[in-house]
Amino acid sequence: MSKLSRRSFLKTAGVATGAALVGGAPIAAAGEREPELVASPSPLPKEPLVAYVRDAEASEVTLVHGTGEVTYRDPLLVKRLLKHAAPHRRGKGGGVA
Amino acid sequence: MSSHREAPEISKDPVADNTDVYAFRSPDRPDTVTIVANYLPGQAPAGGPNFYEFGDDVLYSIFVDNDGDARPDITYEFRFRTEVRNPETFLYNTGPIASLDAETWNRRQLYSVTRVDRHGRTVLGDGLVSPPCNIGPRSTPDYASLAGAAVHELGSGETVFAGQRNDPFFVDLGAIFDLADLRPFQNLHLIPSAATPSVDTLATLNVHSIAIQVPISKLTRDGSTPTDVMSPKSVLGVWAAAARRKVRLTDGPLQAGAGPWVQVSRLGNPLFNEVIVPMGDKDEWNAVDPIDDDDFAKYVRRPELAKLLPVLYPGVFPNLAGLDADRADLVAILLTGIPGGIVGGFQNFTGPKLADMLRLNLAIPPASSPSPLGLLGGDVAGFPNGRRVFDDAVTIELRALAGATYPLVNPSYTPDAAVSVVSENLVPAAGRYLPAFPYAGLPHDGFSTPSP
Repeated sequence: MSKLSRRSFLKTAGVATGAALVGGAPIAAAGEREPELVASPSPLPKEPLVAYVRDAEASEVTLVHGTGEVTYRDPLLVKRLLKHAAPHRRGKGGGVA
Repeated sequence: MSSHREAPEISKDPVADNTDVYAFRSPDRPDTVTIVANYLPGQAPAGGPNFYEFGDDVLYSIFVDNDGDARPDITYEFRFRTEVRNPETFLYNTGPIASLDAETWNRRQLYSVTRVDRHGRTVLGDGLVSPPCNIGPRSTPDYASLAGAAVHELGSGETVFAGQRNDPFFVDLGAIFDLADLRPFQNLHLIPSAATPSVDTLATLNVHSIAIQVPISKLTRDGSTPTDVMSPKSVLGVWAAAARRKVRLTDGPLQAGAGPWVQVSRLGNPLFNEVIVPMGDKDEWNAVDPIDDDDFAKYVRRPELAKLLPVLYPGVFPNLAGLDADRADLVAILLTGIPGGIVGGFQNFTGPKLADMLRLNLAIPPASSPSPLGLLGGDVAGFPNGRRVFDDAVTIELRALAGATYPLVNPSYTPDAAVSVVSENLVPAAGRYLPAFPYAGLPHDGFSTPSP
């Protein structure tokens, strides 16, 4: 996992999980397009990609997929996730996207 | 067992495993209803060093439907949190626990009770203490006092208890799941064996109970205390459940949950998921609500066990073998309640919506001489009119499945003679039950109780 780049990780995971992350918007387009709510989400895949905000103040987001895990500092992504999680977010720290 | 480890997934998650639900008019306080929901099955009393406890990460709920739509009108939610006084010792207690605030009690649980109804969410109590587990005469020398102090009367009128108890449920589990061996006539089984006495599998095991006693007027749709047995307003539907957060993250010793609560266990009628629902659907049944039980009605109409009995006992159940019809009697007992006009002076019908709920007619007073066989024993205050802690649910349901109740919907049907002797043949030992809240007996202590 240490050699896995963020771009390749997302590319690989995205093949299997599609819209699992940030409402289906490509990460590169973060901030450029508003995500849309999905009324009837697709069935849960066997191995979902999970992204969670580990530390909102430090802008740390952890991506988990398969047996791999990687944590990035990505203020733009964290800001965007928090914006869309805001109505549902509780307490300090992180949340799960 | 009633619902102990009854489905593949929940059998791996005992803290959330809802094993039994009871609902009955309190015999010593008949203006109230007592509901008991049990979790954490099969506890060997010698449970150290980490004695049993509720899950801090589990939402425990008791649901009441008072208008027959199979949706909860009133929900009581219970949330727990664990408090460790001294993390530097491996001991649960560092001396005798003489009270619920004893410094010697190192790991205790506190909980909150929230009522959810049409008025919204109301926290009825918080910081309520669960009693310790019953460890033994040195650690919990006066367990009855500790447990008694853990009965909390809330200002709102409800009384609650949450903690370890003697498991009220009794069953000859080893026989039932050894290809439906019915010990009274095991010599007649397809694979016969010599007669042996029944075994009370849970006789020495504990469970964790969440019990709540509620004034009847706080449960009915119009705030009344019903007196008319035949009125639809007299009947409640009751069930319980456990839920976990949608996502659980583990990072070294740290754990965190996120997302909505997702139901992982539920229970209304005893044995429903255990012996009615087939293996492939059991996990789904636990995850959905009674409102969705239409999907499972086919298993009630044509129960597998009713087909198996004539095969396993050749020639013993000839009438059952010839019964090739939907079991409207079982649908009534388990999914709609029994309509008026079928059993004289009785009904617990909640309407045509098919849903697995215990159905309790509040206008029927507690029995002065109760029969553990409930309705089959001529006692309309017992199962399937609600369920009391001492009701012999296994015998009642085995007999019903074997055809005892089919004449209620088809008077021309004659149950097989063997049906009347189908029985668990178990008499729970003294101490299994209490005459007052929470009615389940004190738990076995770990020092005195041999391993099962």
